Amino acid sequence: MTMMDENELRRRFAELRDTDRESAPTFAQTYGRARTDRTTRAQESPDKHAWSARRPRLRVRPLAIAAAAAVLIVAVWMARERSLSPREGNPEIATWRAPTDVLLDTPGSELLGTMPALGESVLDKMIPTYSLRGS
Amino acid sequence: MDEVELRCHLERTHADCFGWAMACCSRDRDHAEEVLQTVYLTVLDGRARYDGRSTFRTWLFGVIRLTAASERRKAWLRGLLLERKARDVRPEPIASPDAEVERDSRGNVLRRALADLAARQREVLQLVFYHDLTVEEAANVMGVSVGSARTHYARGKARLATLLGNGKEL
Repeated sequence: MTMMDENELRRRFAELRDTDRESAPTFAQTYGRARTDRTTRAQESPDKHAWSARRPRLRVRPLAIAAAAAVLIVAVWMARERSLSPREGNPEIATWRAPTDVLLDTPGSELLGTMPALGESVLDKMIPTYSLRGS
Repeated sequence: MDEVELRCHLERTHADCFGWAMACCSRDRDHAEEVLQTVYLTVLDGRARYDGRSTFRTWLFGVIRLTAASERRKAWLRGLLLERKARDVRPEPIASPDAEVERDSRGNVLRRALADLAARQREVLQLVFYHDLTVEEAANVMGVSVGSARTHYARGKARLATLLGNGKEL
């Protein structure tokens, strides 16, 4: 691997610069072409320029950003609504009852679920007889 | 600075500017000319103003660099959106016999080696060796810190020397 010194690099770049300068257009050519191109472009589309001069310029970028923001807000809102609403056919666990729960209702379970009191008969609870006593 | 004075300055630095525009446009001559035309119109129309914070040439090189980057972005977008198909079917340009001969010249060895460098390294070397700017001035043109420019300069120089050394051996 041959490492070059800085002078060799400078010499090579100088050669490149000389080659470029030989082929470079003059300033008058470059500037003249630029002005001609601009004039031609202006003549080719005078209607467009007139139209843009008459019509107030729309600010397209802010409008596009506002539209995109609106779409984003609506999408987020819809997604949120969907996640909050209960789904059909999928009842909440707190209200769900198994279909075999009825088998757990044994006869006399209401007697076991209440506190017995003195002077009362369990039969009073099972058979409401107060109307008969009263009569 | 009035228009006459500006034109004098532009005319004086034109050859240098063309070389820099060529470097900024991957040595595409047509593209470089277009960029330079845009820059001249921009400067003379007053859309880019020289504020005297650096030398006129350094400032102008900065304008050329930004314009070339902007044109490159526009061309890329155009190619992406509209002209992809057309570009795909466009045939490869056929090299002329002169170009074939030129390809083997020393200048082209340097161009090929430069093309292999990272963009920042290529820019700083072009500015320092081709345009005889200092590394500080090159940093100003490139819009980077002097320290960063020095790093790119050192790495680029070493890599270029290696590439040219290998080319020499071949």
